[in-house]
Amino acid sequence: MNRKVLSGDASASTSLRSLFKRHITKNVLAMVCVFSMLLSVMALPVSGTAGAASKKTNITYWFWGESDIPGMTKWMQQRIATYEKANPDVTVTLVPQSNSTIIPSFTLAAQSKTGPDIDTQWATLPTLQPALGGAVTPISDYLPKSDTSHWLNTNENTYKGKIYAMPLYLIGVPLVWNKKLFKEAGLNPNTAPTTWTEFLADCKALKAHGITPIGMGNKDGYFGAWMFAIYEKQELNTLSQLTEGVAGKGNAETKMLASLKTMYTMFQGLIKDGYVNSNVESLSLNQGWQLFPQGKAAMSLTTDGNVLSWAKSIGESNIGVTKPPIWGKGALASTYDVTQSSDEFITSWSKNKQADANFLEWLHEPVNMVALNKETGAFPADNQFPAKDITDPLARSLDKLDTSGSSIWLENYIPPQIDADADIPAGQLITSGSGTPAQAVALWSQQFQLWRTQQPTQFAQFKTWAAG
Amino acid sequence: MNSEILTQSSTNAEGQPASATKRGRRRRNLWAYGYMSPVLVALAVVFGYSFVEVVHYSFYAGGVGQLTYVGTSNYHELFADPQFITSMFNNFKLLFTVPVVTILALALALMINTTFRGVRQYRAIVFLPYILPATAMGLSFSYLLQGNGVLDSLLKNLDLSFLIHDWLGSPSWVMFSIGSVIVWQQFGFGVVVFSAALLAVPGETIEAARIDGASWWIVQRKILIPQIRRIIEFFVILQAIIVLSSVFTYVYVLTGGGPAYSSSVMEFFIYQNGFENGSIGIASAAAVVLLGIASVLIAIYIWARARAAKEAG
Amino acid sequence: MQHLRNVLRQLVLIALSVISLYPVWFMLSTALKSTHYYTMNPTGIPYHVTFSNFRAVLSDWPLLLWMRNSLIVTVVAVSVSTLISIMAAFAIVFSQAHGRESLFRSSIALMAIPPVALLIPMYMLMVNTHLINSLPSVMIFYTGLLIPFSIFFFVNFFREIPLELVEAAYVDGAPHRRILRSIILPISGASTVTLVIVNAIFVWNELLVALVFLQSNSSRTLMAGLALYQGRYVTNEPLLMAAAFLSILPLGVLYIFGQRFFVRGLTAGMGK
Repeated sequence: MNRKVLSGDASASTSLRSLFKRHITKNVLAMVCVFSMLLSVMALPVSGTAGAASKKTNITYWFWGESDIPGMTKWMQQRIATYEKANPDVTVTLVPQSNSTIIPSFTLAAQSKTGPDIDTQWATLPTLQPALGGAVTPISDYLPKSDTSHWLNTNENTYKGKIYAMPLYLIGVPLVWNKKLFKEAGLNPNTAPTTWTEFLADCKALKAHGITPIGMGNKDGYFGAWMFAIYEKQELNTLSQLTEGVAGKGNAETKMLASLKTMYTMFQGLIKDGYVNSNVESLSLNQGWQLFPQGKAAMSLTTDGNVLSWAKSIGESNIGVTKPPIWGKGALASTYDVTQSSDEFITSWSKNKQADANFLEWLHEPVNMVALNKETGAFPADNQFPAKDITDPLARSLDKLDTSGSSIWLENYIPPQIDADADIPAGQLITSGSGTPAQAVALWSQQFQLWRTQQPTQFAQFKTWAAG
Repeated sequence: MNSEILTQSSTNAEGQPASATKRGRRRRNLWAYGYMSPVLVALAVVFGYSFVEVVHYSFYAGGVGQLTYVGTSNYHELFADPQFITSMFNNFKLLFTVPVVTILALALALMINTTFRGVRQYRAIVFLPYILPATAMGLSFSYLLQGNGVLDSLLKNLDLSFLIHDWLGSPSWVMFSIGSVIVWQQFGFGVVVFSAALLAVPGETIEAARIDGASWWIVQRKILIPQIRRIIEFFVILQAIIVLSSVFTYVYVLTGGGPAYSSSVMEFFIYQNGFENGSIGIASAAAVVLLGIASVLIAIYIWARARAAKEAG
Repeated sequence: MQHLRNVLRQLVLIALSVISLYPVWFMLSTALKSTHYYTMNPTGIPYHVTFSNFRAVLSDWPLLLWMRNSLIVTVVAVSVSTLISIMAAFAIVFSQAHGRESLFRSSIALMAIPPVALLIPMYMLMVNTHLINSLPSVMIFYTGLLIPFSIFFFVNFFREIPLELVEAAYVDGAPHRRILRSIILPISGASTVTLVIVNAIFVWNELLVALVFLQSNSSRTLMAGLALYQGRYVTNEPLLMAAAFLSILPLGVLYIFGQRFFVRGLTAGMGK
């Protein structure tokens, strides 16, 4: 093959050179610059891996919690520092995860059987699905009943008598409203919207006064996922209506999809009426929430932890909390949304499972649980925690909501892949205005199909789990 | 110098007749096989092994350790999957950036095809985006293009409110926005490529035309552009390959494929299915389809090279 | 008329320069603001400059560790691929070995293969060889990905070397190793630097492979780390922009001083 591809090519490289002619001294300077930069970076100690050869037990902990409870990561870091001081032979490396990495990172790790010793996942299926796939070792294998019996809500992660993961906190998802903005819109700042009609009337009044009624974010799809968790649930009478639908049992799927369509129609109405911030689709859940403490939105759906954190910026007296207004007619409509949300478990490939378990159990010691509440306002998932000691009025009203009755967080009962590939994009179809409720439901049905054929093992395991 | 001359002279140098026996030739070139073997091994592992295996995996379903043979059903499923179709079409939509980058870059290259103060600096500035990591720049753009973000407030201040959009959150604008970021990054590359090619055009032809009274525009259109036609062709093919096969970073950082898959591309589809879901079968099938499409472009590229070589004699 | 045209040209160029630089400027100016100040005035000039974001990123993020990883991966992958490609290109141009032309032609074809198409098999290979989650896993993949262009580049360059230079040595019966070392390499310096820069940019900027292969926080490369921290810090724009700015700084500095290598290298694939 001839090198001369172009006529006049011979001079091409020379002209390129002349285009960007530079003095040689400058190049020498650059080399020195770059080299010194390289050397200084190279000289850095490798934290965490340097001492790996010694007898020390290294625990790598992929942790999530900050999105539910601002301040959670700091609390965990402080606990780790204390634990390492008391146990000099143990090192815990904390790797905080975000909403967008928590599931995919662990799915990837589970495929290669490498990665963390302890992982955080959302409760129930996001934990049990990898557990059934062999990625999780039940924590109850390593801790006596006297320890695990103090934990609350262990039923969320129990399968065939084994507890797979440990809860740290319980969290409710209330509707928050900004009393100042309610007043500005001529609404009674102390009356919470409890029925759907009231809620829509409040939205309308706020909108009429130029106030964004609801501040949320759906770039990462979690506003949609939350609407599913809260409002699809309100249409169901039992949980098995959902799980049988996912399992494709009889006509359960058709029925479930029909109820989903009703929910999406309601959701679409909120968007179409302009009750949600117009840039909902380009803000992530956490970004969208910021509109509330910034006083740019009058209401939001959030977690206890965030409410307490926002109270610091707009004043506790300006915040009201209530159950999300009731829309659906199912028997589950009256339940609240408390969940352990996330949980901590030991991976099946961890080399020091007992050490992992000891560390996790240590987090449940009363002193640590009290510190968790004190520093973040979160409610520890431990029955030794003296709930009556909560004095802050806002925290008390949140606690009252959380303990007022039975609770379900519906998102935890669908397989993580369905959550990521159906629940999330279907909600985005609605919030972005690019799809109808029928299309949103069609997407669910396609993703069911894809999951069932692409992950036959997971599907079989799911059916067994749902049946038992 | 072409390889023919080289072949002849190197045989002469060793004092062997050109029609040496096959065996003798092999022995004489033993060193060459040694020199080529490291890359052959590396290419065999990274490309050879992967080509075979990706086809192999495309006939299976399930995650790592739970693979079950399913025949060609992944391919059926793939083409019945609206997400994959959307992803493929989004890659094709991005092909629209190719003429945009080419025309803009060519226009600027023609415009600065003279020496004047600051031309080097300008070229250096315009080229800068091309080398900057898309991950980091994507982060910056995600704030600039956010609904009610920097660009929108700028438009508002300029009294251009009718242009305000949720650039990344609206399914009808999101591919336009991603395409614009790609144009932003590739533009300088085009300018520099075309400038270099224009500088190589012999000055006499242009002078002759000028003397004949041809206008500036005629000189550009009738003389300069035809002279660098080959370069323009290569640039177009190269850009087409880029938007088909290396735009993952933009999508991952700017939108994560959303809203509702509307900005997913084939690479993202493969990443999401293969790694976020662990369904390596369907991801491999998608990779095979992508390879097929890429091969067409590669074939065009090789054909264009061969033709150009023939023309050059 | 000529004057008007010059003014117009300057205006266009200024506008294009602003567009080219604005995202970088936004990054830097945001990084120099406090979160509060940014919320109030996202686009304004940072009058109250604060370096706290840079300090926070450097102390709270493993940013320097990631940079180090990126650097190690870049140095190893680029030097290995350059070295073995030089050898192969030398053999392709200066030997009559069978298959040399096929190797060159396949390099041209492989240059344009989408890396994502190789990702799944390479991932499985790395899992099976227990290299996953370690820097060598990405080094191997990157080395392979860099080879086709490197061969293409060096073959084109070697074919321009005047034959007389090599001929004399052949007549003297010098071994190939010596011809490569004492004749070819000394005149390849500038070209090698050029290629090294092109390849280093590719490796430094690569995201997809690093994201999939390197899952533990301490083994991540800079780009993978940055992309994965995006979600966690999305509400702290100044901090994220500080990290992003630090990640483009090494390339930026290199570019300011070594522009001509960048330009020559990155346009080398064109036309030949």
